[in-house]
Amino acid sequence: MTYGEELIRHIWPLALFLVMVGGLIVLMLTLPALLGGKRVSRAVNEPYECGIVPVGSTHFRMPIPFYLFAIFFVIFDLEVVFLFAWAVAVKETGWLGFTEALIFILILFAALIYLWRLGALDWRTSRQKLDLRNLDAR
Amino acid sequence: MNWLALTSLMPLLLVASISVILLLLLAFIRDHKLTCWITCLGLAMAAFWAFADMGDAPQQVTPLLIMDDFSRLLGGTVLLVSLACGWMSYTYLETADEIREEYYILLSLAALGACVLVASNHFASMFIGLELMSVSLFAMVGYMAHSKQQANMTLEAGVKYMVLSGVSSSFLLFGVALIYAYAGNLNIDLLVAAEGPRLQSGYLVIGSALLLVGVAFKMSWIPFHMWTPDVYQGAPAPVTGFLAGAVKVAVFAFAMRWLMMAQGGYLDLLLLGLTVMAVLSMVVGNLLALRQNNLKRLLGYSSIAHMGYIIVTLAASATLGAAALSTALEAAAIYLITYASMTMLAFAVISQLAAQDRRFESGTLAHYQGLLYQQPLLAGALMLAMLALAGMPLTAGFIGKYYLVLVAVDSQLWLLLSLLVLGSSLGLYYYLRVILVLCKTPVGDSRLTLGASEKLLLTLLVAVTLWLGLYPTPAIQWVQLAIQ
Repeated sequence: MTYGEELIRHIWPLALFLVMVGGLIVLMLTLPALLGGKRVSRAVNEPYECGIVPVGSTHFRMPIPFYLFAIFFVIFDLEVVFLFAWAVAVKETGWLGFTEALIFILILFAALIYLWRLGALDWRTSRQKLDLRNLDAR
Repeated sequence: MNWLALTSLMPLLLVASISVILLLLLAFIRDHKLTCWITCLGLAMAAFWAFADMGDAPQQVTPLLIMDDFSRLLGGTVLLVSLACGWMSYTYLETADEIREEYYILLSLAALGACVLVASNHFASMFIGLELMSVSLFAMVGYMAHSKQQANMTLEAGVKYMVLSGVSSSFLLFGVALIYAYAGNLNIDLLVAAEGPRLQSGYLVIGSALLLVGVAFKMSWIPFHMWTPDVYQGAPAPVTGFLAGAVKVAVFAFAMRWLMMAQGGYLDLLLLGLTVMAVLSMVVGNLLALRQNNLKRLLGYSSIAHMGYIIVTLAASATLGAAALSTALEAAAIYLITYASMTMLAFAVISQLAAQDRRFESGTLAHYQGLLYQQPLLAGALMLAMLALAGMPLTAGFIGKYYLVLVAVDSQLWLLLSLLVLGSSLGLYYYLRVILVLCKTPVGDSRLTLGASEKLLLTLLVAVTLWLGLYPTPAIQWVQLAIQ
């Protein structure tokens, strides 16, 4: 078998997949146009975004806890990704791999302790914290 | 990994453990002095360990890192620069209206990244080291963002540094990917994989060029220098010291490993580009500094020029055989060490001044007028730093420049040599102008006071700068030992 044939043998499932994806998109875009009813009004032509009005001022305030939440998710989610890679080869890497994974987890644990003590895991707004303190004081 | 490899990696492990220890400490106790002590002691121990290991056999620790005498020497230098940076940060942060302790975590992480960069002989570890250093530096450059004293400039500098570092990293990463596409592995020594289909050598050429662009951004070689003056001016003075000292040393150490020590003939591909950047950096860097009225910007342009001079060693190692290579390596290492000592001296003075009066932070030369009469020790140290940067004999700068001229004459690089001389004489003008401003009659009569620890730091830096200039033999022997 020549190199070219081998390449084709490896690549044809991918090509088929691409064709199927393209076909599905075409199907999904054409079928509603053919089957669905048509109505014209202002609201119908607006892009649909989870039922929220999609236009308006861009100068609005984003609550910062959302951002923290996203960052922490990324950090600790990545930990899991690395641990998956270790988990499939846990026997081959032996005690050395175990030690390295342990160091990795412990460093992240130290970071978690730091974040917890810093109050970064407390989602309450400063107003809510103030209210809570007043409640405690009473 | 055996025990020997682990002990030889100890400097890196020590620096890494500082950041974890500080993280846990800060969760419970906030004490600026304790934090600073732990950082400085840890960095000093790591540097001592690196220097004490010199002469031992090279250790390849995993495929990623190599701990040979070269990494020990320049890694130790980077650690000492970080130590000086941590030390000078103490008074600077003590008088700042900003959270203080987290700075030291960032500093130890940046030092760790720089050490990884110096010790890497694999493109993956190079990228990890570079990013660890850069990402910590984004936060360090913009560290005073909430401070009322200097918020605007520092935030601007931080954002500029972040965006341009991101751009340069993407160039660098794409270059590495193309080299991988050509060679089939990520080792810096170009070992082309024997099996499998291989791409043409055009990939190697473009890949190396893109990698060089990434390096040139960090070294601020013209035309990739645009960020330098703004970031130097806006960053807190100790951080600017780290940017000018440790980052340049670490990135050029990688460039030495990649272009001079590794197999694969990268240097022949890139020689023309390097020469163009050297010419531009030497001439334009010095010309831009001539009319500069801001000390920190002036030092930024001066570092552009100095990094242009050091390309001479790269060009020299391309022209001749193995003997020229070892001379060029020696010259580059000595130049880096002398440059680090005099830059740290200059920035130590600026950060001590800024600690007492934030007007010095913006760095306009008018504020420095007559400093000699108000604070003779600081002004004297700054004068010494300026003389050393100009390359005056009896200072560290002379030894570095002497080596560059030696290498250029040996390899008959007449164009670069003549521009080196021209650049140095242009440099004399603006360095001496700073000294002149220091000697003028003072405007106000503000008294500045120095604590004992700042005096000690300045004395040490002055001593190193003078020692390297007056009696460089031990340092040169040390470097020769490391380069063999």
